[in-house]
Amino acid sequence: MSKRKVLFSPDSIEEIRQKKEKWQKKTPSVEKTGQGIFNTLSGLPVNRLYSPEDIPQLDYLQDVGFPGEEPFVRGVHPTMYRGRSWTLRQLAGFGPPEETNRRYRLLLKEGATGINGVFDYPTLRGYDSTDPIARADAGRGGVSIDTLEDMRILFDGIPIEKISSSLVTCQPICNITVQSMYFANAQNRGVPLNKLTGTSQNDFLMETAITIAPEVLPPRFSFKLSCDAIEYCTQHVPYWNPISFSGYNYRESGCTAIQEIAFVFANAIACSEELIRRGFHVDSFAPRLSFFLSAHNDFFEEIAKYRAARRIWCRIMKDRFGAKNPRSLALRFHVQTAGVALTAQQPLNNIARSAYHGLAAVLGGAQSVHIDGYDEALCTPTELSALTALRTNQILQLETGVTNTVDPLGGSYFIESLTGQLEEMIVTLLEEIDQMGGIIKAVETGWIHRKISASAYDYQQAIDSGAIPVVGLNCYQAEDEKLPMDLFQVPETLRIQEERLKRIKNERNASKAQRALEDISRCCDEGRNLMEVLVESVKTHVTEGEISRTIKSCYGTWNTPLF
Amino acid sequence: MKKNIRVVIARLGMDAHWRGSIVVAHALRDAGMEVIYVGNQMPEDIAETAVQEYADVVGLSTLSGNHMLLAPEVVRHLRARGMKQIIVVLGGTIPPDDIPKLKKAGIVEIFGPGTPLEKIISFLSGSQ
Repeated sequence: MSKRKVLFSPDSIEEIRQKKEKWQKKTPSVEKTGQGIFNTLSGLPVNRLYSPEDIPQLDYLQDVGFPGEEPFVRGVHPTMYRGRSWTLRQLAGFGPPEETNRRYRLLLKEGATGINGVFDYPTLRGYDSTDPIARADAGRGGVSIDTLEDMRILFDGIPIEKISSSLVTCQPICNITVQSMYFANAQNRGVPLNKLTGTSQNDFLMETAITIAPEVLPPRFSFKLSCDAIEYCTQHVPYWNPISFSGYNYRESGCTAIQEIAFVFANAIACSEELIRRGFHVDSFAPRLSFFLSAHNDFFEEIAKYRAARRIWCRIMKDRFGAKNPRSLALRFHVQTAGVALTAQQPLNNIARSAYHGLAAVLGGAQSVHIDGYDEALCTPTELSALTALRTNQILQLETGVTNTVDPLGGSYFIESLTGQLEEMIVTLLEEIDQMGGIIKAVETGWIHRKISASAYDYQQAIDSGAIPVVGLNCYQAEDEKLPMDLFQVPETLRIQEERLKRIKNERNASKAQRALEDISRCCDEGRNLMEVLVESVKTHVTEGEISRTIKSCYGTWNTPLF
Repeated sequence: MKKNIRVVIARLGMDAHWRGSIVVAHALRDAGMEVIYVGNQMPEDIAETAVQEYADVVGLSTLSGNHMLLAPEVVRHLRARGMKQIIVVLGGTIPPDDIPKLKKAGIVEIFGPGTPLEKIISFLSGSQ
């Protein structure tokens, strides 16, 4: 590192410090407003005023720089939203695939610029809709996918060769099959894999720590499946982001902003080490590692979080892995506004909340943004709620002028100071994880579960005590509140999926399907990459449940150390 | 000496969200109750666990929307085992219209999003 050139001379910093002290003494009483404690949501103290003395060590070129250049604090593209807006990627998925297909078409017709498909609980966990423990959840929380035929229906009439699709296949056990179905469906439609653009979630922490359901794969094997998908895409689907480290969901489970970023990076470090162990150069896969982050209530902390994350990622890639390709060094991320911050009380207030969250995301330089529906604390978004969210995103993009200049808050004494403080806290937590042997160890020992549940408990207690105000919930409550809108009803799913599964199983070549499952089993036993086998196997119309059972019978299951 | 309240906490079916159930579990334990956290289970297994564990309360959690299908089943399986004294409560995103139906099916209380922990603690303490 070259010699540091600070922005302000020590003399002027000293003078500012003395004058500020005098100024502060003149009006101490304003500090008495509220409870007299001013902290960010993750607990960092906030001063009344920021000035150059709060960033005395800042070296503009080394620590901040220009957009599109190291360390990418100001953004990953030189022109940011002037050149290209963020993608309007509104999440959608419910019921059987034909229903979600209609919602996709509606959102695209109304101006969404990407698909963001979420899957139901059974699909995310690798179960068929008809499994006895899955039946009550078929079509809930997302769309139901059992076989390749469901995938065909889901994307019927959607130009997958032109539009990018984000598959919210959170758990690797789900991703390995559902992503294979997406690729197989593309091949059946005559679209070569090297023309596909999109993202799969594929995050092993989602399977083992963040969301928990029956019969979890052991962390090591969940991690292996995740890396199999990265390896396969690096070789065959070059424009696909094979993983989206899901800090958003970590946050929803209770993480602080600091934990959110430290845990996604600890996960990304483990994946990078594994891919390098498998013989890949860091620059062959790192440009396609993508991130999914939350936009929560603390406006400035969120903005500083994204900026700090870009600086840390650049340094990890460069110093730890020797990456040279600028695309490896640039942290790209999708943001969803925090569902956990929404209230079931006075739900229309959520429109305002989510708009502020969305504003933080774009002031922080997000590549793609989903704004939540106002009814998400109560149900899957209705058509009206989903459209209002899309319109909120469009108002932000077209009416507010925030796209006119890059990183408008860069250079703010407060934002630069907070960016630096968050960076320090995140790096310290990353070192702690390194010292315990990395993220897989942190999961296996239950360390990460304890950390997240402690943060979640603290947050709930702060809301209960009123230390964190939530309008409509612990202040300004309405008496005898009546819901001002209709709630979403999940369309009939189980019967449709059951009939289709029965038909597919009758029509498929049983011995081919059987052989496909045997191939999968052999592939697991031999420790080879499962994706190679699966993209072909799903074409025999084996079901997701059959594939997952085969994988679990080889790898076993794990009891999550949650409580 | 008064015996501690024993609470079995379970997530219904495939529901994957654990934050609410874990936060409540911590709060009940800190309030001196004995908490048995069983993770995801189906209604019959939950009822069986409650019997084996001599539970006073079964606390169910779900955000997936499966509550109308599965929560009443827990009550039914408890009653089939002659365990009327074990009360069943439910937490999660439950649409207001479903609450009277669930109460009719024997769920004694429903705690929606934003319920203060203290309210749950005092309800369970008062129920014994």
